[in-house]
Amino acid sequence: MSAMQLTEDQRDAMQEITNIAMGQAGSLLAELLGNFVNLSVPRIKVLALAEVARAIRDMVGSDIDVTAVRQSFQGYLTGEALVIYGQNGCTELGDLMGYDEELDRSEETELLLDVSNVLVGACLGGIVDQIKNLTEAHGTAELGFSAPSVMAESVPADALINPDKLSWTHALLVEVNFTLEGRNFISHLCMLMPEHSIEKMCSILDRFVESY
Amino acid sequence: MLIKSLPSTWDVEITQAVNGKEALDAYRAGKADVMFLDLTMPVMDGYEVLENIQKEGLNSFVIVVSADIQPLAQERVKKLGAMAFIKKPVNPDLIESALKQYGIAL
Repeated sequence: MSAMQLTEDQRDAMQEITNIAMGQAGSLLAELLGNFVNLSVPRIKVLALAEVARAIRDMVGSDIDVTAVRQSFQGYLTGEALVIYGQNGCTELGDLMGYDEELDRSEETELLLDVSNVLVGACLGGIVDQIKNLTEAHGTAELGFSAPSVMAESVPADALINPDKLSWTHALLVEVNFTLEGRNFISHLCMLMPEHSIEKMCSILDRFVESY
Repeated sequence: MLIKSLPSTWDVEITQAVNGKEALDAYRAGKADVMFLDLTMPVMDGYEVLENIQKEGLNSFVIVVSADIQPLAQERVKKLGAMAFIKKPVNPDLIESALKQYGIAL
């Protein structure tokens, strides 16, 4: 495979598309939590698979343990979406949603899965919406999602991805994060796509740039 | 991409900035009569740019163009002196009507 990198134009386009998708996700999150949500500048990287775990740690921070929810997606694009919360993310969520009493473990997990599902669905849905008219089969780009599941609890961020478990050589890593004003809450959404989806994305991004 | 959404008949010189700080510097240097401002940017975000423009009493005509569609975001930028809020993806007609609304000759 040729050297996998995005050109500057492709990266700009991906950043713009992601920014719009995350704006929609952030707005849903704000509504859900009744709090103003600050959006990050999307970070986009193409990495060899072995570098992904470290890149995620660098984005999330190495000094905290994280809890993460994963959802895989397949269809027009294939990949994994991870929603990564800081240690107190789960307890904060219950509080934010207005639960007075402390949630038990299963309620907490359910909440975590629900919120993650909203973020993943809105972000990936938002991306697909913008690119579907640029695919080879104009107007179609369906995605299916697996059910969200908790992939790890209170682990260092670089322990989230085990390269041995994926048969990819490269990954396109797209990271956005949502913080809440006045609260100690952060959730990172990392979307990872393997080489065949990267190639598809690259042609789409080229068409996106040309369309302007 | 935004530049391509501006009215084609509008005869203007365009200065681009990659972050809020560059935008503010260009504005201070008098390089812009109208500023199209994103909110989500590295180094200095759009809110900070608006705050600085307000603080320094710069003559301002800022149109915010953002993917942040929270109602509160819109409210905040208006309070900080933005003339209009246009959400991304940009509809060129909305840009044109915002400019016309404020009497800018196109």
